[in-house]
Amino acid sequence: MGWIEYLFNGNFLALAGAALAVILAGIGSAKGVGLVGEAAAGLVTEEPKRFGQALLLQALPGTQGIYGLLTAFVILNKIGIVGGSYTELTTQQGFYFLAAALPIAFVGLISAISQGRAAAAGIGIIAKRPEELAKAIMFAAMVETYAVLALLASILMVMGIKL
Amino acid sequence: MAIVKMNKLSLIGLETDKEKILDALMNMGVVEISESSEKLTCDDWKDLVVQDGNSEKVALLDDKINRVKWTVDYLSKFSSKKKGLFSSKRSVKTNEYNIILQNAEKLTSIVNDINTYNDQLTYLKSERNKYTNLILSLEPWKQLTIPLQDTFTSTTTIVIGIVPQTPNSGKLKEDLLSEAPESYLEVISEDGQQDYVLVIYHNSCEEAAIKVLKQYSFSKVSFKDLEGTVKSNIDHAQKTIRNIDKEYEDLEKKIAGFANYKDDLETLHDHLLIERDRIKILDNLVKTSKTFYLEGWIPAELSENLNNRINGNYECLLEIAAPEKDEEFPILLRNPKLVQPFEAVTEMYSLPSSRDVDPNTLMAPFYFVFFGMMVSDAGYGLVMAIITGIILLKYKLEGTLAKMIKLLFFCGISTVAWGALFGGWFGNILSLLSGDKLTIKPLWFDPLQDPMKLLIWSMVFGGVHLFTGMGIKAYMLIKDGKIFDAIFDIGSWYIVLIGIVMLFPGGTIAQIGKYMAIVGVIMLVLTQGRDKKNIVMRLLSGVLSLYNVTGYLSDVLSYSRLLALGLGTGVIASVINTLGTLFGLNIFGIIVLVIVFIGGHTFNIAINALGAYVHASRLQYVEFFGKFYEGGGKRFSPFKKNTKYINLNDKEAI
Repeated sequence: MGWIEYLFNGNFLALAGAALAVILAGIGSAKGVGLVGEAAAGLVTEEPKRFGQALLLQALPGTQGIYGLLTAFVILNKIGIVGGSYTELTTQQGFYFLAAALPIAFVGLISAISQGRAAAAGIGIIAKRPEELAKAIMFAAMVETYAVLALLASILMVMGIKL
Repeated sequence: MAIVKMNKLSLIGLETDKEKILDALMNMGVVEISESSEKLTCDDWKDLVVQDGNSEKVALLDDKINRVKWTVDYLSKFSSKKKGLFSSKRSVKTNEYNIILQNAEKLTSIVNDINTYNDQLTYLKSERNKYTNLILSLEPWKQLTIPLQDTFTSTTTIVIGIVPQTPNSGKLKEDLLSEAPESYLEVISEDGQQDYVLVIYHNSCEEAAIKVLKQYSFSKVSFKDLEGTVKSNIDHAQKTIRNIDKEYEDLEKKIAGFANYKDDLETLHDHLLIERDRIKILDNLVKTSKTFYLEGWIPAELSENLNNRINGNYECLLEIAAPEKDEEFPILLRNPKLVQPFEAVTEMYSLPSSRDVDPNTLMAPFYFVFFGMMVSDAGYGLVMAIITGIILLKYKLEGTLAKMIKLLFFCGISTVAWGALFGGWFGNILSLLSGDKLTIKPLWFDPLQDPMKLLIWSMVFGGVHLFTGMGIKAYMLIKDGKIFDAIFDIGSWYIVLIGIVMLFPGGTIAQIGKYMAIVGVIMLVLTQGRDKKNIVMRLLSGVLSLYNVTGYLSDVLSYSRLLALGLGTGVIASVINTLGTLFGLNIFGIIVLVIVFIGGHTFNIAINALGAYVHASRLQYVEFFGKFYEGGGKRFSPFKKNTKYINLNDKEAI
């Protein structure tokens, strides 16, 4: 029954948390950025000059992926896989890390897609009124708030875990 | 705090003076002429006046402007001067301007010439295509030696045509000879799909020959207008193409010869633009047969000047008066140089209405501080400040773009300050390279070591921000004479919120805080329903208003993004540094380090500056403006000389 032991190995659980943060937030961002990209390509066919503006909007849902990576990195740093000394974790500590990764993982996934939708709709704004780019950005950015809050929760949790 | 006060002006003048007066107004460039079309429907006026305007001439000038603009764009392809990333207007002296305009006729003829030349170029292009296609279609018949016009002799018929290649198409010749013995067939060439064949048959066996050819899907090819052999035709076409190419080049050279006139044409363009505006403004006027009427806005402090200038020189009736109390006037902002760039942030949201307080002066320091906190890396700040600084020195920019670049410059400085306070210089690159021997100590503390401390500070900054916004609301209420509203709506919340904050430190302060909060809550319950008649409803809406406390709570929590984004920048920067130093400090490692360092940090600056811009703006729009700001003002757009390419140095001082 070695594999059950491995499954409840503290370091494995912590790594699983880090992986989830990167995977889910990354999927969300990929989807969100893709959504905006499709809308933007349509606009740029007609108005190649709007490329810069469209790109700015497309970049917005990309931050969740970065937040996921960031959380993963903070976890890896804390347990010594990147830099510093490698720490053996207890199962309990492993679960702590796993739990800490969940906020950015799930909120990142959903918020990136929603933000992508808002930003794709923003492409419609700059198609007709390029001078209103800032408003299009703001609508998408309102969604990002929740990813920022989730990131904050995840980072504070990871930092607070006693080793 | 500086929305420029506007006065309303109305002017009745003589038709004969109209041009001169409009000229004077345009040169001063401080009067906005608004539409007076409502006079057309107003009872006292409608029988007397008609709308002024000359749309025909405007259309004519618009057409001319478009043609000149097209020519300028066209010539810029030939111009040797490269256009920079940011183009700025040339300045042109008045006498130069006049000299150029004396040549307007010549410039117009140049525009026409270039148009004609371009038409010729288009024509040559299509001719060239025609001949290229002809050569392509003649190519398979190159080996045909019979002249193309010879399609018959006295007893035979000569045809050429195409036969699609099929497995048994080789039998065509056999079949033809057996069915129509007095015939001849030769395959001139083939291209893998079709055979190009020459058929000659005696007229006596025409029917039989045609029948066989049909079986093999033979389709006739004819070159109607051509004479002579195929080869001579191809040679001729090639020669023509060479001539066309030469002619094309000559024409392009001729056009390129006009490239020097591009600057003059730009001046002409702007001149026409001014001319157009001068006529277009007539649409906003109404007139009788002998007089005209215009109305508009002028900054109050310039009223006296305008009065002197117009009334002294012309027979007219000029009235300048302050607007009615609730009348909206166009918005012109006047702020100190340091605050001006931040106007860009407000303008993105909405210009203040004439009832608003100009929020820029109060908003600017918060934006400055928040942006810096969210990027919080001194190295990044330096990069931002240096790049935008160079752009500002090198280019003379105008309008929103200039404001945005200046905004980034200031924010770069703020970022340097916060980076120094938190000890981030391109992340932790120095301590990483020196193996922890060299570190730049943070001037305040390292947020990575004590995030909770920064979280509390973020909320403190947020609290100050919110209280400022509420303060402005109170100021606006007091200005309108609603002192009690200010005390009840804003004052009681101040007491409640400050009381709640005082609960945290504990001890006697907490005791005082407790009572303050209770007093504030009682004030709210008693006053918030004061517009209701029923006493029960009053108390009920008072109690319900306490629910707003969740709004304040979420507002304050929203400022935790100051911490989150700041931490994000720092952590990503150290990830980049760690990746860069993975290969150690040998030659290969250093090359990797340089590439990763430059690429990674450039990316991080870009993504975080965008994030900081967006989130700092959001904190202003949602949390700050939400407390007091109305917005929706219309920009003051004076009637003046608007130009695209040049700056004319002839402003009359006013």
